[in-house]
Amino acid sequence: MGEYDLHSFILACDFRVDDIDRMWEWLKKHREGLESIGAHHVVLYESIWEPRRVFVTIGIRNARSIRDVLRSPAIFEWFDISGADDIPPIFGGEVVEKIDLFGSGPEGHVGRVVVGVMSSVADVSELMVKVHDGLPRFKNGGVRKIWVYRAFDDGQEVLILQEIADEASARQWIEHPDAAAEWMTNAGMGPYPSRFVGRFAHLMSVGEPG
Amino acid sequence: MFVCLCTGATSHVVDEVVANGARTSREIAEACGAGGDCGRCRRTLRAIIEAHFADKPESVSR
Repeated sequence: MGEYDLHSFILACDFRVDDIDRMWEWLKKHREGLESIGAHHVVLYESIWEPRRVFVTIGIRNARSIRDVLRSPAIFEWFDISGADDIPPIFGGEVVEKIDLFGSGPEGHVGRVVVGVMSSVADVSELMVKVHDGLPRFKNGGVRKIWVYRAFDDGQEVLILQEIADEASARQWIEHPDAAAEWMTNAGMGPYPSRFVGRFAHLMSVGEPG
Repeated sequence: MFVCLCTGATSHVVDEVVANGARTSREIAEACGAGGDCGRCRRTLRAIIEAHFADKPESVSR
């Protein structure tokens, strides 16, 4: 299998850790390891309903090989310090579109509610048409932002991050997703984790500002 | 999804291996290498096997 255009991409994974604060402190002390794999930002979301479950995204730039990044000691050390005996599947892909339904908000995202889903869809281009058609409904449902990423290794695989107004709206979204939210269907199947509902907890910049 | 960090194997590759007859994480490792090194992705491999056979009444050994 060939490599991909790696100008800039995102890694994301969903797993359980022994101690979230300890893991984050460790990450902050090991920025050089993250820098060595080309990381520029790390974002950590903590599950609202499931203690110790986290969703982490790492922005990467200027990497030569996504596989080299994934098998770097920095990644394995990170899972080791997290207490994760089982290494979770990792999404690797690029942004398709970031939709902000309410315009750019103020900085300081900590505490904001997010729903994260990794899944497969029939066709990403068609999905985006349906998403745009459904934006008024999404907005009424409390969705503030929708970030869509497409996997490098599978053209039907997506990572969808949504920022939602509050926990009640997130619960409503999870239990009764919009018909356009095709990605909700396959969540939790095979390699895909179940739907993640959490709060933005930590952001770390690595190296120069991205 | 990248399921095996040691080999860089993806869920797409593992799906194909399972579709071609692999029924255990050991058989997947023999076919494509995934899970054959540190073995910390075997839980995911088993989840892929189970998802593949979710609609089929075949037995799945681990």
